[in-house]
Amino acid sequence: MIGFWDVIGRSESGPLVKEKEFDLRVGRVARQMIEKYDIKYDPQNVIPADDGLADRVYQAGLDLFLELGIYCRDTGRLMKFTREEVEWALKHAPTAVTYGQGRDMATMTYRAIEDSKPPFCIMTPVGAPVAEERFVAMVQSYAQEPLAQTFSSAFSQTVHGRPIKSGTPQEVEAAIWNVIKLREAARAAGRPQLGIHNLVSNAERTDAILAAVQADFGVQPNDGLCIAATAELKIDYERVKKTVFLRQSGHNKYGLLGPLVGGYSGGPQATALVHIAHHFLALLAFEAQWHCGFPLHIHHGCNTTRELLWLVSLTAQALSRNTHLLITANTFAAAGPCTEMVAYEIVAHALAATVAGADLDLAAVARNRHPEHATGMEARIGAEAGHLTARQGVTRDQANEIVKQILAQYEDQLAEAPIGKRLDECYNLETLEPTQEYVELYEGVKDKLSKFGLDYSLL
Amino acid sequence: MNAKAQANLIEAIVDATVHYDESRCVTLARQAIDEGLDPFKVIQEGFSRGMQIVGEKFSTLEYCLPEVMLAADAMNAATEILKPQLMESHEADSQGIIVLGVIQGDIHDLGKNIVKIMLQASGFTVHDLGNDAPVRGFIEKAEAVGADIIAASAILTTTMSYMPDISAMLRELGLREKYMIMLGGAPVIDEWAMEIGADGYGEDAVEAVAVAKRLMQKKRGG
Repeated sequence: MIGFWDVIGRSESGPLVKEKEFDLRVGRVARQMIEKYDIKYDPQNVIPADDGLADRVYQAGLDLFLELGIYCRDTGRLMKFTREEVEWALKHAPTAVTYGQGRDMATMTYRAIEDSKPPFCIMTPVGAPVAEERFVAMVQSYAQEPLAQTFSSAFSQTVHGRPIKSGTPQEVEAAIWNVIKLREAARAAGRPQLGIHNLVSNAERTDAILAAVQADFGVQPNDGLCIAATAELKIDYERVKKTVFLRQSGHNKYGLLGPLVGGYSGGPQATALVHIAHHFLALLAFEAQWHCGFPLHIHHGCNTTRELLWLVSLTAQALSRNTHLLITANTFAAAGPCTEMVAYEIVAHALAATVAGADLDLAAVARNRHPEHATGMEARIGAEAGHLTARQGVTRDQANEIVKQILAQYEDQLAEAPIGKRLDECYNLETLEPTQEYVELYEGVKDKLSKFGLDYSLL
Repeated sequence: MNAKAQANLIEAIVDATVHYDESRCVTLARQAIDEGLDPFKVIQEGFSRGMQIVGEKFSTLEYCLPEVMLAADAMNAATEILKPQLMESHEADSQGIIVLGVIQGDIHDLGKNIVKIMLQASGFTVHDLGNDAPVRGFIEKAEAVGADIIAASAILTTTMSYMPDISAMLRELGLREKYMIMLGGAPVIDEWAMEIGADGYGEDAVEAVAVAKRLMQKKRGG
């Protein structure tokens, strides 16, 4: 058995290591494991259907984690674990997590590879910047989607007309405002008790975030927060503080895990192993009930490139075959709303993840940084593709053929992806319905996807 | 040493840098001094060109961050050897002096570190404030070292709100005309950077170097 305080205690007693030395060690150990376990990236098998490869990736990721441990930035110490400790934590990991109340209640459970159970669908603009006066409209456009099972926040650029600066009193005010407005959006969507998986997106400091987690502001007992690894296999106390609070408050918590392909780990194979290891980090150091993966391409800032789709699918398969962890894949698209490209990117990612046993977190678009460029339609497109994949019984081999055809539609445009249209150009802000233009664009994409093998009549 | 031998030595330096071979880089730097090569030329045509190739390999992901870091370490170890000679002959040959840091409240320094490597490799003198650097700290450091450019990065929407303060505080202190401001980081876009008073914006490390060069040209009246 290994308890939370035993884990955190190791951040004060583990061996001292310089941060740069650790950063370089990550890539070195990953390379050793790639060789030892014969992990090869095959661009033609974007969605591999090789169980042996998935199992080797899992074992290599576990070995890498045991070799490297977790680096605590506050103390400069390594937190190391034994195989037995990791396996114990995995054995006792949550098998379900429930969000929302009453008729808006939804429960995320384990999914297997090629599972006929539809993916749990989390819908969120992933903190996309938006003007204060359009904040509720933007998040409501996600909460109102019929397939949304939880939702979360955009990033309001101001609160009460004042910009939000981390570490200032205004950050606390903004975090509280954020929570109140999210609940207001759920009510406006006619889903007053819909779960909020991440209550605060406009504050960085833990004191501001925790100040907002109050029932009086509309927070439900099983709403929750994310806790992020700060970089490859690193944690810091500022984020771990949230775990300590959530352990006592009873709110849900999940790990936010975003290793970079091209970063400290290396290429897609190495990053796949580090991504697997991040799940062990989140389980041990954050007591994460579920795991949100958003591996990204270091240059493109998205995870819809060929190598990222391979990584997303293979790591989900590896975890699904070897654990009962609750895993989601968070789409990051290069293109923005109301473009064919964004629809193709999101569907490709949804297919790669769903068929591999993951749930869906939908969706960061326009590289998640262009103000007003995020809408509920992108989440709808991904959720419908995920549901369809499960209902149609798409296999990994079939998904691979479909995704390769989808990639051909956008792959060469990734570097110069169109940012698309703003929320107010994609939706009628009075009725909060997508414009005819966006609906027709999606219908056109669905027609093409039907030719690739997705049967949209099943929806 | 004849011209052909010099060219071969420079090529060997490029090769050693590209293959992040630190001991070979150091040995070759010593050999260059012994042979009386211009240290500035050795850096510009040898190590910097090597790092430029490393940057190109990084942009296609033939190289990833560890290789970039190791190549930068190899170059830095070698340029330490060349520094005394460089100071004597070419003190004023720096491309420009930059104060670089991750803005207040933000601890994500990966992008900033890559930009630092590429700026140094391109001949800039970089004073690195690390992460979570207050705006006042950027300005005080710039004043202390006689900087040309203040460069800040943010990876969070919650911390980029500090960026407008750089230009505003410089204006308040009557120092705005002294410095060029360049910004970057995941949530920062070109239009916004210009809107808040920056002089330049870099989408990535390669662009940051090009922008820094352009800003120096502008500052020097070119």
